[in-house]
Amino acid sequence: MQLLPGQLVALFAGPVTKHLAHLDAVDVAVIAIYFGIVIFIGFYLKGSSNTSEEFFMAGREMTAWIAGLSFVSANLGSLELMGWAGSAYQYGILATHWYWIGAIPAMLFLGIIMMPFYYISKTHSVPGYLHLRYGDGARALSAVSFAFMTVLMSGINMYSMALVMKVVLGWNLNFSIWVSSITVALYVALGGLRSAIFNEVLQFLLIWLGALLVPILGLIEAGGWTKLKAQILTNVGNTQYVHMWSGLGHFKDNPMGVHWTGIVFGLGLVISFGYWTTDFLVVQRVLSAHNLRSARMAPIIGAGFKMAVPFIVILPGLLALSVLPFHLVGETQAVATGQHSYNEVLPLMLVRYCGPGLLGLGVTALIAGFMSGMAGNVSAFSTVWTYDIYGAFLNKKASDSHYVSMGRWCTFIGVLISVGTAYLVQHAASIMDYVQSLFSFFIAPLFGTVILGMLWKRATKAGGFWGLLAGTTTAIGLWAWVHNDPRALRYVALSPDAKAMAEDLYRALWSWLVCVIVTVIVSYMTAPRPVAELEGLVYGASPIPEEHDEHWYQKPIVWAGVIATLFIILNIIFW
Amino acid sequence: MREALSIWFFAGLLFSIYGFIITGTGLWELGHPLLHPPVLNSLHAPIWWGGLMLVAGLAYLIRFWPRKLR
Repeated sequence: MQLLPGQLVALFAGPVTKHLAHLDAVDVAVIAIYFGIVIFIGFYLKGSSNTSEEFFMAGREMTAWIAGLSFVSANLGSLELMGWAGSAYQYGILATHWYWIGAIPAMLFLGIIMMPFYYISKTHSVPGYLHLRYGDGARALSAVSFAFMTVLMSGINMYSMALVMKVVLGWNLNFSIWVSSITVALYVALGGLRSAIFNEVLQFLLIWLGALLVPILGLIEAGGWTKLKAQILTNVGNTQYVHMWSGLGHFKDNPMGVHWTGIVFGLGLVISFGYWTTDFLVVQRVLSAHNLRSARMAPIIGAGFKMAVPFIVILPGLLALSVLPFHLVGETQAVATGQHSYNEVLPLMLVRYCGPGLLGLGVTALIAGFMSGMAGNVSAFSTVWTYDIYGAFLNKKASDSHYVSMGRWCTFIGVLISVGTAYLVQHAASIMDYVQSLFSFFIAPLFGTVILGMLWKRATKAGGFWGLLAGTTTAIGLWAWVHNDPRALRYVALSPDAKAMAEDLYRALWSWLVCVIVTVIVSYMTAPRPVAELEGLVYGASPIPEEHDEHWYQKPIVWAGVIATLFIILNIIFW
Repeated sequence: MREALSIWFFAGLLFSIYGFIITGTGLWELGHPLLHPPVLNSLHAPIWWGGLMLVAGLAYLIRFWPRKLR
């Protein structure tokens, strides 16, 4: 169907609903300048992304700081920013676990233990490492599930952002979806991973600049941290909203309905390590580092910044509990009653404290968060598709320029699938829950497969494949069981008082355990690979290149120790 | 011939432009008060926040300005 110019304008016209804030000309200028600069960066870097190594791996030329900021920024998407701020309003400071124990130990482990193997194997991707270690079966399973889920998650991110922009600013959904996704497609397709990384660093700085005023002004309004805690206690009537660990002794004692074993083992050991050490979306950024030392330092630098993110995400959610004159509700109730939902807490706080200019900066920060998440998804998708599906199984002997061309086209195709997912979610909101659950099915078992492959020489090709398959099947089976019979949650999460969040944590733990057990059993039943074939892939079979740091303070292990100490101190302070 | 533009140069450029715009808006508001001011508007956040951005942006712009290649 061809649209007339008038109809085309109507398609993107806004506002379509009653909205909360109005952008002035200066706000629009701030947003427009941002779009102009990111597109300029794409065109500027086009000339330096001609080979596959340049396009998919940024030429492996990034410094530790750039790779580290990009590593943490690719994860800081719109769902991450707005969703966790909403969770902080809903569950209190417990949401911080997803930033601290749910990230920091895994990031340090990646830098200190795992990165040498990823780096010296010269793999282009995590499925690529599985190919070297376990062969084509594990690679195909991991690559197909990753590529599929990555673009679907990207679409959900896109829809979440567009929905908030519609509610808060009255922007048309089509306008938000198409303008932001075309911009991302353009700069990633032009400049490849280098362009994505440059923009992610810029976006990370912008997110901080745009969002940092909210906690600063919020704390001034609330009268400081002590008074904020007292006001939350008055408004909510529950002391556990400001304690991270003291209420985790029993499922009933905290607003999230979780137990410390779920947080420590399910989140801290399995989900976190699964995401931060095997999800190619983030690992790809570190692989672009220019030497092994930078590749090891990048996740450690990222961990330092990640530890500070709750200040701009969790604290605004807590402040809203104290200063907002109205209550926020769940998404379903918000749609039915016209109230504001938990997910809108961050934009609501921006509108509360920011006038013209600063509001534009805050909205730009939210858009930047969305773009960094989406660019991470599509650049990782195009790499895995080109190297691990197309180049590995469909067309093994194409020229380097052909693969680069395939990568550029894949970027556009990935964005189009994401847009399609966003529209699908718009018409069937329950799909969002299904896709988020699906994503969690693959992460936990994959960590089991990768970690055994790296640390255990005896793990075999058949063990890796069947372990990964059994772990994934377990996750799907447990999810389907609870989905069809909610009473099953008491068995999966080990308590009749457990709530939905606890299910995710324990499901990950069980699926990881099944993966590890099956991998070990099948490996002992099958013939091991000769140790000589495992060089560069497995601990104990690979000489790790020595690093010669001039000073003690240049050693990655020293900085990992500093971050780990800070992590422990912060957990004790907010116990 | 000059060296390639660094990511920190772009950061400095963006911060400088934003700092200039936001500080300017804050100063304008001193003489033209807003009809619906945000909470804590009396602290004049656009002036000091924008000013900080401008100073940081200019520092990065100067430090990472592409030098001539020898």
